Amino acid sequence: MNSVNQNASAAQRGATLNRNQCLVEMRDINKAFGGVQAVENVNINLYPGEVVAVLGHNGAGKSTLMKMLAGAYPIDSGEVIINGEKASIRTPSDAQAAGIESIYQTLALADNLNSVANLFLGRELLTRWRTLDDHRMDAEASKVFQRLNKNFKNYHTPVRRLSGGQRQVVAISRAIYFNAQILIMDEPTAALGPEETAMVARLIEQLKEEGVGIFLISHDMHDVFALSDRLAVMKNGKLVGTYSTKDVTEDEVLGMIILGKKPEGKPETERPAR
Amino acid sequence: MNQALQNLKHAAIDWRMVLMASVLVVITVVFNVFSGGIFFSAENLYNIAQQTAVVGILATVMVLIIVARHIDLSVGSVMGFVGVLIAFLMYSADWSWPAACLAGLAAAIVAAMYQGALTAYVGVPSFVVTLGGLMSFRGAAYLVADGKTQPLADPFFLQLGGGFNGGIGTRASWIVGAVICLGIAWAMWAKRGAKKRYGVPTNPWLVDGLMVLIPMVGVLSFVAIMNAYQIPGKDDAQGIPIPVLIWGAVALFMSFLVHRTRFGRYVFAMGGNPDAAELVGIPVKRVTMLLFLLLAVLTTIGAIVSIARLNAGTNSLGNNLELLVIAATVIGGTALAGGSGTILGSVLGALIMQCIDSGMLLLDVSIGTRYIIIGQVLIAAVVFDVAYRKWTGDVL
Repeated sequence: MNSVNQNASAAQRGATLNRNQCLVEMRDINKAFGGVQAVENVNINLYPGEVVAVLGHNGAGKSTLMKMLAGAYPIDSGEVIINGEKASIRTPSDAQAAGIESIYQTLALADNLNSVANLFLGRELLTRWRTLDDHRMDAEASKVFQRLNKNFKNYHTPVRRLSGGQRQVVAISRAIYFNAQILIMDEPTAALGPEETAMVARLIEQLKEEGVGIFLISHDMHDVFALSDRLAVMKNGKLVGTYSTKDVTEDEVLGMIILGKKPEGKPETERPAR
Repeated sequence: MNQALQNLKHAAIDWRMVLMASVLVVITVVFNVFSGGIFFSAENLYNIAQQTAVVGILATVMVLIIVARHIDLSVGSVMGFVGVLIAFLMYSADWSWPAACLAGLAAAIVAAMYQGALTAYVGVPSFVVTLGGLMSFRGAAYLVADGKTQPLADPFFLQLGGGFNGGIGTRASWIVGAVICLGIAWAMWAKRGAKKRYGVPTNPWLVDGLMVLIPMVGVLSFVAIMNAYQIPGKDDAQGIPIPVLIWGAVALFMSFLVHRTRFGRYVFAMGGNPDAAELVGIPVKRVTMLLFLLLAVLTTIGAIVSIARLNAGTNSLGNNLELLVIAATVIGGTALAGGSGTILGSVLGALIMQCIDSGMLLLDVSIGTRYIIIGQVLIAAVVFDVAYRKWTGDVL
C-alpha cells in the first residue's frame, strides 16, 4: 500500500497541515436521554495525526459522545470546535461536510445493497442527467477496495454475503474515499481475524502520517496500547481523565475504567506528546 | 454437478424471475387444457390483460412502499375516493375530464401528504395510519356523491379504461411492439458495451442472446394476440388495450426510478438497514414523503383507469383492492420484511393472480373456492420465497 488517500489534495493537506492546531475540541458536552444523563460536561480534544482512544464500560457514554460528533445525536449543550472554528453539527451530513467520517461497530451498511452502492451511499456520483453513474462508481470503488485488500473482488454481491473483514473494508473505504480529516472508529477490529486486524492497524498508521485525527473506541487493551497516542476514560457519562498512553499501565487504565480512579502521580494531558 | 449448480446459482440471471415466468406459463397452459382452449382465446387474454392493469399499476409502487418497510392499506379506499370525486366532477359538476382528473390528483396528493407526514415526521407506523385511512377514505368516497353512482359518457375518457374503443388498433400495436423490441436490444447492447469498457466480465453470448430473444418473442406474441381479437361489427382488431399500455409505461418508469436514481437507491437502503440509512445522511423523512406522493400519483392513474373501465364512479370502487395489490406484490417476490423486491416481479405477481382467478372463473369454480385457492397461492408464494432465500443464502 502506497498512499491511502485518493487525491493529491489530501496528501498536500497532510504536508501543509499545522500539526499544533487542534483539529477537534469538544467543550462541556452534555446529553441526556429522558432522565438519564448519558454524557456530562465532557471535554475532549484531538490533534492532527494522533489517535485518541476513548475507553469505558458499556454505557459509560463513549459511543454517545462520538455519535454526537458524527451528527447522529443532537448535542444538548456544549460546543464543538473544528480547526479553531465553532461548528454546528446537527445531522450526519453536517459532520460529513466538516470532514468527519465514522466507522461504526455495527458497520452501518445496507445489507441488501452491494459494496459499491454502500461506499457511495448518500453521496452517489451522478451523470449529467442526474441519474446514477454506476460505471464511474464501479471504477472508483474498485480503486479504493484494491488499495485496502487486493483479494477483495466480489463487490457486486450484496454485502450480507461478505465476510466480516470484507464488510470492514467497505466501511473503511467510505472514510478513505471521501478524505476524512477526522475519523471515528467504533470497535474497528471487533469482528476481524488476525490478518484483517493487522490491515486495520497498518491503515491507522498511514492515516496518522497523512495528518488524519482518529478517535478510537475499543475494548481491546492490546489495540489501545498498540495504536493510540492518548487515551480518555469515561465512567457514568463523565470523563475520568485523559493521559498519554505511554505514561500509564494497563492496570491503571483498568482501574480508571472499573473504579473511575485516577492513577496517582501521572499527569493528565490535553496535547499529544511530540 | 454440484459445481455446475453453483455456477448457475451465481450467473447473472435472476432465477426467481425465470421461475415465476415458468409458473405463469404452466398455470395458463393447465387452464387452457381444462377449459378446452378457451383460456388462450384472444378475447380471454385481452380481458385478462386489461383487468390486471389497475392492480398491476398499484403493485409497482406497493413494491417500493414495502421495500422501505412501510405498507399502505388505504390504497383501495383512496382510489375509490379519488375515482368518485373525478366522476362526480365530470357528471354532477360538468367539468371537463382533464380538469376533473387534475382535481382528483390534487385530492390524492393532499391525502398522501396527510398520511405521509404522519408516517415520516410524526413517526406513526404506516400500518396504523393507512388502516385508519382505509376506513376514513371509504367514508369520504361515500360522502363525495352521497353514495350515488356517477355515470360517465365522455367517449375519449372511456377509452382510457379499455373496453369497446379502448384498444390502440393493429398498426399502432405493431409499432409499439417493434419499438419495445428495439429498446430491449439496445439496452442489452449498451450494457455489454459498458461492461467491456470497465473490464467487467460479460455474460456468454448465448445467455445474453436468450435474455434479448425471450422477452422479444413475448412482446411480439402479446401484440399478435391482442391484434387477433376483433369485436364483431368493428373494422379493426382491438390491439393493445390502453390500460395495459399505461401499466407498461408505469412499470418502465418505476424500474427507471429503482435502478437509475438516488431516490430508488435510498428506498432500498432504508429497507435494508434503516439505522445505516440515517447514519450516512440519507434524508429518510423526505424520501418517505416522496414515496407517499408517488403513490398518490399512481393511485390517481389507477382511479382514472378504473372509472373509465366501469363507465361510472361508485362508492364501492376499489373495495378490497389493497389486499389484491399487496398479494400481487408478495407473490411477485417482495419481502414484507423490507429491503428486497422488483418491479418486474410485481408485474408477474399480478398476472399470476389474475390468471388463476380468471381461469377458475372459466372453469365455473364457485367464488368461495376461488377465494380459498387464491389465499393459499399467496401462502405458497411466501413459502417459496423463504425456501429460495435459504438456498441462495440471502436470509433476511
